[in-house]
Amino acid sequence: MAKTIAQINEKIKAGKAVVVTAEVFTNMAQEKSLVELAQEVDVVTTATFGPMCSSGAIINFGHWSPGIRMEEISLNGVSAYEGLAAVDTYIGATSESKFDPTYGGANVIEDLIRGKDVRLHARGKGTDCYPTKEIDTWINKETVNEFYLFNPRNAYQNYAAATNSTNRIKYTYMGSLLPRYSNVTYSTSGELSPLLNDPFLRTIGLGTRIFLGGTEGYVVWNGTQFNTRRERNEFGIPKLPGATLAVIGDAKQMSADYIRSAYYEKYGVSLFVGIGIPIPVLDERMAKHLSISNDQIETTILDYGQENHPAVGMATYAQLASGSVTLPDGKQVKTAPLSSLAKAREIAELLGQWIREKRFFLTEPVQMFPKDSFVKPLVPREGGEQ
Amino acid sequence: MKRRYALRFSPTLVEQPIVSKLARTYDVDINILNADVASGRGGKLIVELSGTEENLDASVLYLSEVGVIVSEMVKELLFREEGCIHCGACTAVCSPRALRMNNEAKLVFDVSLCVVCGLCTQACPLRLFEVSNERET
Repeated sequence: MAKTIAQINEKIKAGKAVVVTAEVFTNMAQEKSLVELAQEVDVVTTATFGPMCSSGAIINFGHWSPGIRMEEISLNGVSAYEGLAAVDTYIGATSESKFDPTYGGANVIEDLIRGKDVRLHARGKGTDCYPTKEIDTWINKETVNEFYLFNPRNAYQNYAAATNSTNRIKYTYMGSLLPRYSNVTYSTSGELSPLLNDPFLRTIGLGTRIFLGGTEGYVVWNGTQFNTRRERNEFGIPKLPGATLAVIGDAKQMSADYIRSAYYEKYGVSLFVGIGIPIPVLDERMAKHLSISNDQIETTILDYGQENHPAVGMATYAQLASGSVTLPDGKQVKTAPLSSLAKAREIAELLGQWIREKRFFLTEPVQMFPKDSFVKPLVPREGGEQ
Repeated sequence: MKRRYALRFSPTLVEQPIVSKLARTYDVDINILNADVASGRGGKLIVELSGTEENLDASVLYLSEVGVIVSEMVKELLFREEGCIHCGACTAVCSPRALRMNNEAKLVFDVSLCVVCGLCTQACPLRLFEVSNERET
């Protein structure tokens, strides 16, 4: 018997919903049939806590008196976007301080979430309605009007693993890659990862309510570089990065336990984002997707030492998580994760607890995401002509 | 046994014959590896002391009592563990496996395996590692 989201929400309201994490569900699938699982379990919680560079926050500072139409906005020396009316801005996680390359937009966001004061400097050209030409002051999350995260690309469905064929260490957003294929790094929570548990985005779409950074947030669009055309394995898992999500949530309610700034050597600043997504067990087909295990999730290992990152092999997450993988040339190579599985587990547990405590209900998406979408490169054109 | 120390002197201490007193009283050999000391402005000595463990300890006690700031020259890895989010990025560069993920996906640091290569100081995205050359005594 298929269930609807409305029926599941009724069960949550009645305190009768059965909620388990995706890891627990995968274990249950070893002993029970999909029919039984689809009947017994109502919601499966999935989660991830990894570095997500395409993140940032919208801030409205409130109006200065006399007014200023802000330009050249900086927060603790980090440039923020100036093209949003007079006192709105967007601060991107990877924007770097002019004074310290290890401090950036991600740190500003974390500092604000922690309740710290942040220095705001801005100039204005001075207009009849906004005469002030320069301000230098302090803000924090209590003084500003809105402060919300709006991340254009998060929760990547199956990120590729990385290695390095060259003779020197490569410092990348995939971590420190040792020379001559001496390590492989990967970034995923595997069988706990949201978009690997709903590989065709049957239940996740515009308006889906999620856990974001310690509070509730929403999926507000498909993420940028949303790609549905990747080759999939027999379990429906794309073998290279596929779907992504754009998410939004009130940063004033977030916690630095689930939003954390990071600095990758010789690469720059990024932001660890904690995301949890509840997936309704609507029917056997969803139960099948949700029973996915690490040995069924494959990803491609790319060589970050070469231009265009050519593929050097494939590995399952069970292999990657075991501590070493064997490359096609027979070399056994040490593996290391980059996203925190321990934190992802914590988020999946917490989201389950919110649902059991009737503090969090599931949503029916307002609209589903594109079924056919691919990623175009930026092609050079001479002189800006045709 | 031999141990290396950094000794920091205040301007008034520089005027006292501390090093020779150390040699005569505590029977330790003193090899001065580096000296930056000047009359009137204090300074710093890097010394290697050889002697019995008892005499080395007594030397350090004497130096501290007269007001020299003594720190042992030990190269070690400091880890601010409370900030760790268990991402695992540091384990990518740790060849002796002093840093590894346990079966609960938590980072464990086994100091006895650490060779203080320092690669993790750059690999940690939260900058939680630091190589220290001196330890306060």
